[in-house]
Amino acid sequence: MLESALSDTLLRQLMAVGQVDILVGLPTLNNAGTVTDVVRAVNVAFNRDFPRVRTVMINSDGGSTDGTPELVRAATLTEADMVQTSHSLRTLHRVLAPYHGLPGKHTALHSLFAAAELTQAKVLVVLDPSGPATIPERVSELIDPVLRGETQFLAPRYRRHARDGVLITQLVRPFVRAVYGVGLDEPLGAEFACAGAFASHCLDRDIWNHEAARFAIDLWLRSEAIATGVSVSQIWRPATSGAGLRATLREAVQQIVLSLAECLRAHENFWIATTAIVDLPTFGTDTAVIPDSPKWDVPSLAGHARQDLLAISPVLTEVLDRETVTRIVEDIARDEWSVDDELWVRIVYAFAVAMRRSRAGSEDLAGMFVPLYLWRAAAFMARTAPEQPTTVQQRLDGLCDTFLRLKPALVSGWSAEV
Amino acid sequence: MIQEIADALVESWRNFADAFVQFVPRLVAATIILAVGTAIAMLVRIVVHRLLASLHFDKMAARIGASEMLRVAELPSAELLVAKIAFWIVWIGFVVSAIDTLQFGAFQGLVEQFFHFVPRFLLALLVLALGFLFGNFVWRATLITSVNAGLPGARLLAAMLRLLVIAIGVVMALEQLRLATAVVLTAFAIAFGALMLGLAIAFGLGGRDAARDLLEQHFKAKPTRGDSDVGPHL
Repeated sequence: MLESALSDTLLRQLMAVGQVDILVGLPTLNNAGTVTDVVRAVNVAFNRDFPRVRTVMINSDGGSTDGTPELVRAATLTEADMVQTSHSLRTLHRVLAPYHGLPGKHTALHSLFAAAELTQAKVLVVLDPSGPATIPERVSELIDPVLRGETQFLAPRYRRHARDGVLITQLVRPFVRAVYGVGLDEPLGAEFACAGAFASHCLDRDIWNHEAARFAIDLWLRSEAIATGVSVSQIWRPATSGAGLRATLREAVQQIVLSLAECLRAHENFWIATTAIVDLPTFGTDTAVIPDSPKWDVPSLAGHARQDLLAISPVLTEVLDRETVTRIVEDIARDEWSVDDELWVRIVYAFAVAMRRSRAGSEDLAGMFVPLYLWRAAAFMARTAPEQPTTVQQRLDGLCDTFLRLKPALVSGWSAEV
Repeated sequence: MIQEIADALVESWRNFADAFVQFVPRLVAATIILAVGTAIAMLVRIVVHRLLASLHFDKMAARIGASEMLRVAELPSAELLVAKIAFWIVWIGFVVSAIDTLQFGAFQGLVEQFFHFVPRFLLALLVLALGFLFGNFVWRATLITSVNAGLPGARLLAAMLRLLVIAIGVVMALEQLRLATAVVLTAFAIAFGALMLGLAIAFGLGGRDAARDLLEQHFKAKPTRGDSDVGPHL
């Protein structure tokens, strides 16, 4: 496994590094704008907060064309950094290696996990190169709880406007909460920290070359941690935008739906038995400052959703009953769309069950789901446009409750003989 | 003279009586074959229908899109249709056997021809079913992909591709049956060639701008419809 994940160059460099306690991974792809600050922050954090600990920072680059690797190599401590930093008692290792294999974050993470295994790292931290760890405190606060053994997996938690991140709030978060029974806020957050033992465990799982991991490997890692009984916590972090994302919206929805289905398959023995949602411990401080509501082009999204749903309505009957399809078609014919949580949840669960039964056609099913998501997102945006954030938040909480309340329908559909 | 006429009549009557005596058992045998065959064919229909029902054949047919075609053509459900086909094959087999038993000169070799035709007929049915299956697969995949790629007229494009695949299936099935092979193949080749030429001319001349837009969108990786605002969704 190690041999396939690590290039010769990386293997050679890691053998020179030897054993480490903390491995900070920085998977990059054209992050020249922010990567220097992040690398400096990591160096300062190593020097100042972990001077006696063996550390290494690995930049796993996916083929940047904007000089990101050169910036990582050249990033040094500034004079201001030197003033506030004591000298590390250990050598600060910095390893730069382009990853090989399939393009995507999952391949970069595969390399980092394999590097953690090889160096027997106690803590593996993966940072988002586009921020928010541009100050040392943001790096150290991710490392500390895992290094002290207070948790084995630390996921970020963002303070968002209730109308922000519709794909998260309308699908991923309530789905993961209801199915896995944990109050996880950001199942797709780009950053995380985990114990070395968990990294080794993940290396043995058959997910790394799977298509479903290409986009949403972060989702799989979190669900794997929850399902295997690893202690999972959250930490308040500054919100990051999806601006650096290279996938289109439709690709993102498809990939996330495929990943959710893959997670359900992988952890069915765990989630079928869970019936309630458990809150997770949270580290850090909530800024409690609610960002502004994002700007949405609702008419445009609604237009695409209407057109696409009308086009694919004949195939929707393969997954949904005729009555549901008729309701959707009637709904999109009106100017004001309804936001029926129960209908939405039943649609999501019906697709999950259909993907279990038709593994070969999963990609088509995920493609069929995209217009339904656009419909739901447009309806949610239009309905909540005039509402206060607290009212919208109540709607989001209500949606989570509906996902949990209707979970028996998912369990019975999933467990039914195929 | 009268004696000769009487002899001829007696001879004729004797020949008729001999032929009748020889024919009656064959007629009885043919009648029995027909009656038993009809009973067996009905039994086969019931067994096939129940077997297919237990295999949820109607659902499978619905999944490949054949049910919709049958509904439009006002034909019975897929299970019933296959059961009826089985009935008719078995029944016609017994009818041919019964006719052969009667030993009419004009129908000599009919049984042999029939049993040569049956495998071709079954193969043609299989080819047709595969045509429907593949046609529906192409239709579904094209519809979903073209909708998500933001192509205009996704439904029309998918329907045309399905029609094309099914048409190829029908032509192949007719070829198996060896029914007017030359006519069918020629007609299909002309129609297919004309369609492709028409499309090429229409797309190349009439839809020059659309073609340029599509190619630009594909090669310049321009965001497709509804994808410019991916950030706020995550």
